[in-house]
Amino acid sequence: MKVSLVSRSGREFIKGGLELNDSATVADLQEAIHKRTKKFYPSRQRLTLPVPSGSRERPVVLNYKKSLKDYCDGNENSLTVVFKDLGPQVSYRTLFFFEYLGPLILYPVFYYFPVYKFFGYKGDVLPVHPVQTYALYYWCFHYFKRIMETFFVHRFSHATSPLSNVFRNCAYYWTFGAYIAYYVNHPLYTPVGDLQMKIGFGFGLVCQLANFYCHIILKNLRGPDGSGGYQIPRGFLFNIVTCANYTTEIYQWLGFNIATQTFAGYVFLVVAASIMTNWALAKHRRLKKLFDGKDGRPKYPRRWIILPPFL
Amino acid sequence: MASAFTVLRRLYLSVYNWIVFIGWFQVLFLALKTLKESGHEHLYNAVEKPLLLAQSAAVLEILHGLIGLVRSPVSSTLPQIGSRLYLTWGILWSFPEIRTHVLVTSLVISWAITEIIRYSFFGMKEAFGFAPSWHLWLRYSTFLVLYPTGISSEVGLIYFTLPYIKASEKYCIRMPNKWNFSFDYLYAAILALGIYVPGSPHMYRYMLGQRKRALFKSKKE
Repeated sequence: MKVSLVSRSGREFIKGGLELNDSATVADLQEAIHKRTKKFYPSRQRLTLPVPSGSRERPVVLNYKKSLKDYCDGNENSLTVVFKDLGPQVSYRTLFFFEYLGPLILYPVFYYFPVYKFFGYKGDVLPVHPVQTYALYYWCFHYFKRIMETFFVHRFSHATSPLSNVFRNCAYYWTFGAYIAYYVNHPLYTPVGDLQMKIGFGFGLVCQLANFYCHIILKNLRGPDGSGGYQIPRGFLFNIVTCANYTTEIYQWLGFNIATQTFAGYVFLVVAASIMTNWALAKHRRLKKLFDGKDGRPKYPRRWIILPPFL
Repeated sequence: MASAFTVLRRLYLSVYNWIVFIGWFQVLFLALKTLKESGHEHLYNAVEKPLLLAQSAAVLEILHGLIGLVRSPVSSTLPQIGSRLYLTWGILWSFPEIRTHVLVTSLVISWAITEIIRYSFFGMKEAFGFAPSWHLWLRYSTFLVLYPTGISSEVGLIYFTLPYIKASEKYCIRMPNKWNFSFDYLYAAILALGIYVPGSPHMYRYMLGQRKRALFKSKKE
């Protein structure tokens, strides 16, 4: 069959179109495009069906596993596909690894090296309070856990992310990492009481374990072939809240802040919580839309979105 | 169809724009008068009251954008007003030592001319429904010169105030304290200078885009 490829402005993207087998899949189409254009490898291609002009519907994105025939409504011999370049892509694993590496390496620098001398502090500048040492372990364990989950647990809905996200995400994690590390390891740091510290770290650790278990549950919702897709999460905290993984992550940071009590740490908590809340709202909405109870699909159960009893 | 709400909105915005226009007109008048009679060292003292009032009133414009009273996106009004308020209150009002600097003159005059044109332009449009084409041209062309002069004055003044900021310890919060919080106004000022590096071309480009839309579109009509 003949596939015409157009850009979003309607201009023909590949002159003369592409000729493919009638049984070809979208993945085959992606390969063919890559062969012709060299620059646009498959993860960079966003292929959609044309939307009638003026329509406000979201375009149908072609799924790489489906055959092209599934998208031809009527005319079996030709198909028009809209192409968009998503820009240079990196794998999610690469992105996560670098954004988490920063905090993992930067924080110990503030703990072990007398960096405060560069800020004008004289004399003994290295941390002396036990809470500062526990904070170091807690922090490093957290980011080590995140890196391990990135490589061995998470199954991503998309294989890649735009390259620009590397700079944006690393700026976020690395800046906040340095900002918090500066205050917790500061020579004039004021620790909280012993009990508060123990409660903070204890609670935080429990939440980290819960968070890990949430990730395991999410992983088992998807097959190992990297096909993505969405299922209704069930079990453990997912029975009451859609994004239990974000909930446990937020509470885990709360535990860290209860133990270390810095303004910088609480700012990070608020920012991280708002980012995750945005994601949670989108995910909850997506799951409710997908699982609407019609055509034999299950109906998404009533659940909190991310932070009971508020949202 | 003019609903009661539309009428109220136009009335409010007309009053707002014309009042602030008068404020900036006063600033420019007093500035030029003082320059002629005394010299640039006395300029700040002469314009201080109307300047503080007119510039601070601009905070309302953020509100207007947020509640949808005007179309301007908050993303462009916020940095603009932020830098103005920072210079007005955070530098000039807070550090009297800098008030006699010659850059205060270029700053005040750049701001005043820009704002006089801008507020009268919007005052005209809200009150009378139109503004003459020369007014439109001024509104979207004077920035070509006044943005560079204004921004250079802002950057220069912040820079020359740095030693006074460092010496005074003003607005600084030091450790130790139970929230392990610190704020260093000197570092904040240096950070502010840093923001001008990407911020100025962004704002200039935004105005160039606005100019194209405003002047090109009106030609088509």
